[in-house]
Amino acid sequence: MVVQTPEEASTDVGASYWFWSGARGALSVPGFVLYGSFFGFGAMTHDFGWPIWAAGLSTLLIWAAPGQLVLAGALASGAGIGASALAVSISAVRLLPMVVAILPVLKTPQTRFGTRLLAAHYVAVTAWFEGQRRTQVMPREGRMPYFLGLANGLVAGSAVATVSGHAAAGVLPPALAIGLLGLTPVYFLLSLERGAHGVGERVAIVVGLVMAPFVSQMSPSFDLLWTGIIGGTLSFLIDRTVARRRRST
Amino acid sequence: MSQHDGWFMLLAIVAAFAANEVWRMLGVLLSARLDEDSALFAWVRMVATALVAGLVAKLVLSPTGGFALAPLWLRLASVAAGGAVYGVTRRSLALGVGAAEITLIAGMAILGT
Repeated sequence: MVVQTPEEASTDVGASYWFWSGARGALSVPGFVLYGSFFGFGAMTHDFGWPIWAAGLSTLLIWAAPGQLVLAGALASGAGIGASALAVSISAVRLLPMVVAILPVLKTPQTRFGTRLLAAHYVAVTAWFEGQRRTQVMPREGRMPYFLGLANGLVAGSAVATVSGHAAAGVLPPALAIGLLGLTPVYFLLSLERGAHGVGERVAIVVGLVMAPFVSQMSPSFDLLWTGIIGGTLSFLIDRTVARRRRST
Repeated sequence: MSQHDGWFMLLAIVAAFAANEVWRMLGVLLSARLDEDSALFAWVRMVATALVAGLVAKLVLSPTGGFALAPLWLRLASVAAGGAVYGVTRRSLALGVGAAEITLIAGMAILGT
């Protein structure tokens, strides 16, 4: 908690004020949906045979649920470290445009390069969406500390949730444990739709869903890569065709 | 499989961290110059979307661990319930995920595992 005298609060609130109000913002509905999904992810890593520290560390370091799940899935299907990292990297390309979109909202002319890198590290779907939505209406000097507070709160809550999910997976009644394992796929599917731009990305969801079972028969270790590249390109072509039709009519 | 080996896991996580972080750093470097509405970006986002959607399909259709104890029809019914509730509640993630969970847990309780 930050205690401030009335004079300070009314005239010039400091960076720590914004940081802690951001951290409190991590206790919100989108935050709890995120923690629920990391709880499910933790349970899933238990199922994949990960040690509990690995589950927690993956959330603290990687901080991108799709990447973490791709890693778990790739390792489970027998892919090596190189192929797994490549699949993770492909799932993370989406972070690039998100960073490009949020930085102009957060930074001031005084923002250092190191601070920008730090802010970019925290960019993941929930932090990005909530951070952008909430800071847009704030005074500019408060945005970066608010975002860092929010993101750190989300990381902390998610790490606790991951470790708890891992620990709970072994002791819960089977119906509940299986329920947890089913949480992550449906959360991913719905948040993909929630974050999708335009026709092409929605087509990509459907194409990816339909293609994956067939591709995994043909290329079990690289199936995710091929599903992404072939499915994404197909969706891109469909998207361009639709856009051209619309323009010509 | 050497998955339970601590060093292997640590290395895999650090490699995944680096693979993930590259794009965030590139985003910082390019944020001044890149047009996020360009065709290249649109393609990249669709590739990533298809990849993650493919992962979802794999997890639901051919799960490897305990999730496989739920029959296929129940796994599909749970996802369908989630999607339907999400659709009728003006795209609420919390309600959609909640509905999928209730369907799955209730289904497993009724089947008596």
